[in-house]
Amino acid sequence: MSPEILRLIALATADTLLMVAVAAGIGTLLGLPLGVFLATSKRGELFAAPVVNAVLGTLVNATRSTPFIILVVAIIPFTRLLAGTSIGTNAAIVPLTVAATPFIARLIEGAIREVDQGLVEAARSMGATPLQIVRKVLVPEALPAIALGLTLAIVSLIGFSAMVGAVGGGGLGDLGIRYGYQRFMPDVMAAVVAVLIVLVQAVQSIGDHLARRLNKRLRHA
Amino acid sequence: MNAPLKADAFGVGAQPIPVADPIIRFEQVGKSYPGRRGQNAVTALSGIDLTVPKGAIVGVIGRSGAGKSTLIRLVNGLERATAGRILIEGEDVTGLTEAGWRARRRQTGMIFQHFNLLSSRTVFDNVALPLEIAGAPKAEIESQVTRLLELVGLADKRERYPAELSGGQKQRVGIARALATEPKVLLCDEATSALDPETTQSILALLRKVNRELGITILLITHEIPVIKEICDRVAVIEDGRIVEEGDVFSVLTRPQHPTTARFVEAVTGVELPAYLADRIRTQARPGDETVLRITFTGENATAPVISRLSSTIGVDVNILAGRIDAIAGRPFGSLLVSVPTQEPELAAVLGALKTLELKAEVIGYVS
Repeated sequence: MSPEILRLIALATADTLLMVAVAAGIGTLLGLPLGVFLATSKRGELFAAPVVNAVLGTLVNATRSTPFIILVVAIIPFTRLLAGTSIGTNAAIVPLTVAATPFIARLIEGAIREVDQGLVEAARSMGATPLQIVRKVLVPEALPAIALGLTLAIVSLIGFSAMVGAVGGGGLGDLGIRYGYQRFMPDVMAAVVAVLIVLVQAVQSIGDHLARRLNKRLRHA
Repeated sequence: MNAPLKADAFGVGAQPIPVADPIIRFEQVGKSYPGRRGQNAVTALSGIDLTVPKGAIVGVIGRSGAGKSTLIRLVNGLERATAGRILIEGEDVTGLTEAGWRARRRQTGMIFQHFNLLSSRTVFDNVALPLEIAGAPKAEIESQVTRLLELVGLADKRERYPAELSGGQKQRVGIARALATEPKVLLCDEATSALDPETTQSILALLRKVNRELGITILLITHEIPVIKEICDRVAVIEDGRIVEEGDVFSVLTRPQHPTTARFVEAVTGVELPAYLADRIRTQARPGDETVLRITFTGENATAPVISRLSSTIGVDVNILAGRIDAIAGRPFGSLLVSVPTQEPELAAVLGALKTLELKAEVIGYVS
């Protein structure tokens, strides 16, 4: 492989990492409160607001049931509004974030719902406010499950980021399509796939390790 | 629903027994859950009158589903009463808002059957949690938690996680945590039900220490009569959402008035006829049969050398068939199954002697 191609692969990898990192970052920032709210706002729960819960739940489901490639095209006006363009790495971050947020919210909701209700009752018996219960009990206790959920979300985002290549986004997917597919360069295609495999593997390993470190439940004296 | 049982039918007061200086007082308290989707409303508690004297250990015993969990949760507002009123330190808490309850809860500790410790926090941080919630400064948290871990005997475990502790140690952390904000009342929700008998003893001893040394009033719920027998001063028996019997532990346990109480009590004070005798016992005496007596010991005479006295003074042979002597609320209590000769005047002499000692004796049958 020529040094020029290697340089392209390196640049594309950096673009992919940037897109995934920013989308995962913003997605978590938005998805965490949304997930916590979804997990605590049904009837009789801490922030009981069944109607808002149902509306947000439907919105989340709607976003999640739209195939990603359709979502990318459907929100082009919104992408232009935020990024000024609908082509390139920066523009690709917008649909990636829009897809990541509800996904992460559902993962976090699931993680929070797994927390033993007895702990919520104990915190209430100490005089904790609902917000204190979230900050001091629900989120810390759900952290190992949240770490695994975020790992899953990032792995999915790496896959999605390759897909935005099809509509002019940057990164490894873009490289694979333009060089590997359109220019018939199977070695580039192979390299792109190899880099993606390594990325996913690395993210999964880091996530698993982190979740194990955070989980204090399995330790024994 | 069954016809409500009137407490006065049993000779115990229908009025709440006046107890000096109550810290918690239930007055005709009821709790029902509204029916949903065409189902009937569910009544969890009704007509509850209960007084918890300051500094006492009061136990509420009942089977699962009797309403005792609901009852204890009314004291810290985790459940709200739908009838009657609850007074805590003279303050009517019935109409308290959630914010009002939060302030109250910081003066009321609670421990749980399954401990409810945060797995992500160390022992130290678990005990620190109520202080963090109350916004205590770091230095105060440090000194208070250190002191409490000393009190419960876990000073060497402060950096451990709950998963590394035994059940008894977890409950000790729970107790330390419940005491962190220096509450006046400690609520115990089946605190020993998940523990083995030996660990139960050590936790009960710790609760007694907390009560005696720190002067903390304890309200506990349990389905285990040994817990009542070991540490409680007063007991209320609850069934189908009603208190069917209430009083000081020694009288309730040694002279149960209600069938439910009697069933609970049997397990600790009763003596069953051994199987080999149960088959052979007769209601009519035949010549040469021995009489089987059940002697019940209470109070001081429980420790008197009754059997040897019967042998030496009357000269009859007393054959011990089964027996059990125990302490209830610190006082000895027990019962003994014996057989003695049926012929007169020996039998009359034996019964007379027992009567003199103020022991209850009943003839339950005859064996050869």
